[in-house]
Amino acid sequence: MSKYEIKVEKAGANANVVVSGVIDEDADFKPYDLSGATNIDLHLGNIKSINSCGIREWIKWIGTAGAAKVQYHECPKIIVDQINMVQGFLPSQGSVISFYVPYYNDDSGSEKNVLFKYGQEFTENGVKAPEAVTDESGAPMEMDVVEAKYFKFIKK
Amino acid sequence: MARKAGLSIRYKILLLMTTLPLVILAVYLFVAVGVFENDKVAYVFESSSSVAKTMASQTTTDLESSLTSAKPALQEFLSYERFATISKGLFSADGPIQWIAAVREREAGDFKELDVLERNKGTFQIEWRDVAGTSAMLTELSEKNRLVIVPFRDDRVILGEKIVVPATETTPEKTTLFLIMARVPNLVQVYQTPGQTENFLVDQTGRVLFGPAGTVGTNVQDRVKLPFLQVNDAQTKQGTDEVTNSAGEPLLASYSVTNFGRLFAVSLVPKREALKAVDTLIRKSLIFFAVLICVTVIVSLLAASNLTSALTDLYQATRKVAEGRFDIRVNISNRDEVGSLADSFNAMAAEVSRLMAETAEKARMEGELKTAQTVQETLFPAPNAVLQGLRVAGFYEPASECGGDWWHYCEINGKVYVWIGDATGHGAPAALITSAAKSAATIIERLDVSPSKALELLNRSVFEVSRGRIMMTFFLGCYDPQKRTFTYSNASHEAPFLISKADQPPKKKDLVPLNEVNSPRLGQARDTQFEEVTIELKEGDRILLYTDGIPDIHNPESQSWGEREFIKGILSSNKDYPSVDNAVQTLVDQFQDYRKGAPLIDDITFFMIQVEAT
Repeated sequence: MSKYEIKVEKAGANANVVVSGVIDEDADFKPYDLSGATNIDLHLGNIKSINSCGIREWIKWIGTAGAAKVQYHECPKIIVDQINMVQGFLPSQGSVISFYVPYYNDDSGSEKNVLFKYGQEFTENGVKAPEAVTDESGAPMEMDVVEAKYFKFIKK
Repeated sequence: MARKAGLSIRYKILLLMTTLPLVILAVYLFVAVGVFENDKVAYVFESSSSVAKTMASQTTTDLESSLTSAKPALQEFLSYERFATISKGLFSADGPIQWIAAVREREAGDFKELDVLERNKGTFQIEWRDVAGTSAMLTELSEKNRLVIVPFRDDRVILGEKIVVPATETTPEKTTLFLIMARVPNLVQVYQTPGQTENFLVDQTGRVLFGPAGTVGTNVQDRVKLPFLQVNDAQTKQGTDEVTNSAGEPLLASYSVTNFGRLFAVSLVPKREALKAVDTLIRKSLIFFAVLICVTVIVSLLAASNLTSALTDLYQATRKVAEGRFDIRVNISNRDEVGSLADSFNAMAAEVSRLMAETAEKARMEGELKTAQTVQETLFPAPNAVLQGLRVAGFYEPASECGGDWWHYCEINGKVYVWIGDATGHGAPAALITSAAKSAATIIERLDVSPSKALELLNRSVFEVSRGRIMMTFFLGCYDPQKRTFTYSNASHEAPFLISKADQPPKKKDLVPLNEVNSPRLGQARDTQFEEVTIELKEGDRILLYTDGIPDIHNPESQSWGEREFIKGILSSNKDYPSVDNAVQTLVDQFQDYRKGAPLIDDITFFMIQVEAT
């Protein structure tokens, strides 16, 4: 059973891509060439992990989009970290439409991922985080990231 | 390794294949002989009983016939007290009767001869005189009413018949004893028929009336005890018994009682003769067993030789394997378990040979990796140093013999350069790239160039070496002690954290990522341009530079340390803004405590620099 799964649905100039699983040196993006589409939406919410070899393959693959408008949706933290750190992981013409921000409560150990959406929780001008995020018991949760590092990509 | 002493498989098979049928056949013979013997005895009893019955029947018939032929004479005598015309007519033709005598017992107890009728005149006087014990015989006849005597050991027989004429008004009761001499040659012949069976006609005392030559007149009980003669049960007419003769030989006896007096027709068969067929069966069976065992031994030896020779070949082959000759193979064509064993052995030997070769190759590669590790260790600087008022403390541990991480510091024209990079993956391929980076860095150090320019040169070097197959994230910073500035350029490496000294322990929001500039990874493209930025530092400021291996540290339960604990570790190890030497050691202690010796997933590299007081 493959560690990853990629589904590409092309409709005219639009392409809807869903990527899930583990992206590592075994990931083979060649069958999923993105050329020809002008609008590409990638849904990344089910990606479990990505390592440095997977990043190398990802950047090669996303390069096949050429000048197409690329939008990342539901980016988990591991993808946001790569966007912030690796130049080219999000192509220069690309943008993030939504991404997850991890929250946690240090006392109870509860964790939660809150989806930040463009135009609601963030814009190019900055982040407007929810005033209060609570766990199932109502306990307040705090953001589980170094904000200056995690939200860096927004200001690009 | 010596062969163990003991009974070889060949002889074990031989023993098994001979003992097993031998035991089975012996048990079969024992059971079969028992059944056959019982059946044979039953058959002999049945046939001899039939013979005895036939003899008894013929005896009765012959004796009754003789007596019946004399009846008219007896009736005449009883009527006239003498043998007259009717009686004399008995001898007008041939017949068994030789003479008839009428005798009456007198009151004195002796016997008076009343009349005699003879076929040949004078024969009664001669023959009666020659009969031994006549008086006793007459007494016995008087008691038993009917008597049979064979006085001369030939075909002559004296039949005694007692007839009582009841008293009438005019005459008293009269008792007359008749003695009738008759010839019964057929009867004699019946009992004299030669063969394994001895036939006798005996009375209750065991006296032989007719029988094989030389036995007439003797007592059969002198030769063999016949218990049934003592039985006076009138209902018992025939039977069988197993008896023993005077020599101790077992005999099978059958008898039948005649209806002429209480005479017994006895048939005696030696049990040995009766069971001669059983002896023949046993003898022939033993011969058959012997032949069967011989065949079994030959077949066993052939089969065992085939098996043991194959096993011996295997044994010799294992000896050679034990001596280290893994190229040995056995050639056994058996299409059975031994053949399969030989195939398995050959496969095992081939696999061992392959594994030995692999082990040797692995040992060679491990040796080379050890050498590479030794070489790579020279690429790293001393973990602790102070250069131009900048204190440096670092830690490095590869996930395998060779790592893909590299860190370095150096002083160029009064400035301190700090380098940290992480090649794609880890192990030998990544280590080769770090070696190339180190080599390039050694040259670049001589050029006195800015961090961005240095990364351009380093990128060119990595790209030429890896041709895009392996890349490297890299962060290069330059500390100017004169201006207390820090200029850095980043090639997609983890952004270092700047921690400024304050009155309060640092919090998460106090971690300032140095991520103002970022560029593609080294080796991604040949002519990548790198940006750089300069920040000002204050006394006590410290910067943590690291690779992404730290959050990936796992404990023995395969649970990762995680970024949250890593951040907590950074904050706690710098809680009181200790010397970076202590802060690094504290952080190391924390994750080593969590790791508990578990293998690393990725290389771990981090170091801190701290601006000291001038």
